[in-house]
Amino acid sequence: MIELRQVRKEFRLSHSGSFKTALLWWRRKRIEQFEVLKGIDLQIKQGECVALVGRNGAGKSTLLSLLSRIYKPTSGEIVVRGKIAPLLELGAGFHPDLSGLENILFNGVILGLTRQQVQERIDSIVEFSELRNHIDAPVRSYSSGMLARLGFAIAVHVDAEILIVDEVLAVGDFAFEEKCYKRIQDFKEQGGTILFVSHEMDDIRRVADRCVWLKNGQIRLEGAPDDVIRSYQADSEATESL
Amino acid sequence: MKNDLTELWQARELLFTLVERELRIRYKNSILGFLWSLLNPLLTVSVMWFVFKFYMANETPNFSAYILAAYLPYMFFQQAVLDSAQSVLQALPIVKKVYFPREILPIAVVCSSFVHFLLALCVFFAFLLVIYLSDPRVSPFSWNMLLLPIPLILSFLLAAGTGLFIAALNTFFEDVKYIVQVLLQLLLFVCPIMYFSEQVLAASQRHGTWMYFAYHANPVAMLCTAFRKILVAPQDPIVGGKSLPWLPLDWALMVLCAAVCVSVFVGGYAYFNRVKWGFVERP
Repeated sequence: MIELRQVRKEFRLSHSGSFKTALLWWRRKRIEQFEVLKGIDLQIKQGECVALVGRNGAGKSTLLSLLSRIYKPTSGEIVVRGKIAPLLELGAGFHPDLSGLENILFNGVILGLTRQQVQERIDSIVEFSELRNHIDAPVRSYSSGMLARLGFAIAVHVDAEILIVDEVLAVGDFAFEEKCYKRIQDFKEQGGTILFVSHEMDDIRRVADRCVWLKNGQIRLEGAPDDVIRSYQADSEATESL
Repeated sequence: MKNDLTELWQARELLFTLVERELRIRYKNSILGFLWSLLNPLLTVSVMWFVFKFYMANETPNFSAYILAAYLPYMFFQQAVLDSAQSVLQALPIVKKVYFPREILPIAVVCSSFVHFLLALCVFFAFLLVIYLSDPRVSPFSWNMLLLPIPLILSFLLAAGTGLFIAALNTFFEDVKYIVQVLLQLLLFVCPIMYFSEQVLAASQRHGTWMYFAYHANPVAMLCTAFRKILVAPQDPIVGGKSLPWLPLDWALMVLCAAVCVSVFVGGYAYFNRVKWGFVERP
């Protein structure tokens, strides 16, 4: 279960990160606040699959990061019950010089498994990723599709109650994508909660129970995927024609 | 602070995995691999030994053992601090995606340097054995060596505290690692590595012994002295034809050093935890 109450998140824009600028500008308080999320209220029940849509910069990724505890909210309250597993972008956290197997161990542990649990599941992970022949090769030799498969295979094996997916599904080939969707369906049927960001409206119609449209840091509309997608697309076209 | 500590404890498996990974990747693509951790100090120490024995007239028997005993802890400190400076920055892609206690990153780097340090110490004992075999009249081994865990623990705390502090600072200001590089290089000269602390005392006496104490207020210098006193047999250093009386380990200075190391650790850890939420928001 996830609950957000009046969640706001501001980022600072100034200070470029070097001593020189810090010394030069320390007297001028040029701290620009940039409000990415302006008061979000959202409830997601257990077993629900919720899609986030919105244009770039609308705050979708920030919202997901807040849920994974990467950021602390500027104000407001976030309650998350259950273990969260973020589906990592193309090999984020993979070390290029280590083999696929070694990376599975590290990534599994960083996503909250014990070493023993990873060892128990390693066969199943390799099996799912379909990388049996490459698993001992260094990850730098993997293609982006292979990285995505390995990443997804690890993420679905960490026993999370909540899966967070940020635009990473559309990288495998058709067959693998089908497999991922099947896995997501299974996950849902077992009572898992999913929150995902996608720009593929077809994917959303297919898996989401509910769709949330973020615009400029606020929830513009939420409800059945078909309705929300229609308004979202109408709005996008309207802005484009301006 | 207490919450942070519990969280760190809960993530110990991750720490362990990270240390293992760190050890694996350091020399992953080099042919000599792990040997580099040993070749580096051995080469450095040979050059120092040559220069100081022949050009600076240092005639102390087994001078090389004295250099090595003090250079290894210095090298550990240098490596641990330099590597941890980069630790958070390098891991930023994953830090931005998954939550885990961030302090694990520099701590893991310090732990892996510490493992290298321990292995280098084993080589040091092998070196002593060679000295003993070439001249079996005096044994270079003594019961004093049982005190070794004390400076070991203190140097770990010092390196971890400094590493945490530098890692946090370097994430916001990348100039920090260049400053640290220079400072670490200078540190080599103000630690009793190429010379003896007995020489420092002799030189200080002309200006007042406070200079000797000020010199040892630097915890790295004190730890180098401590390792040397514990690891190598007592012997009057002979420099420029003059013999200086050997000094035992000064426990008052050691207590001061312990206090500094513990406060550096606590301070570095507290500072890191205070700013760690800002790493991902670094513009």
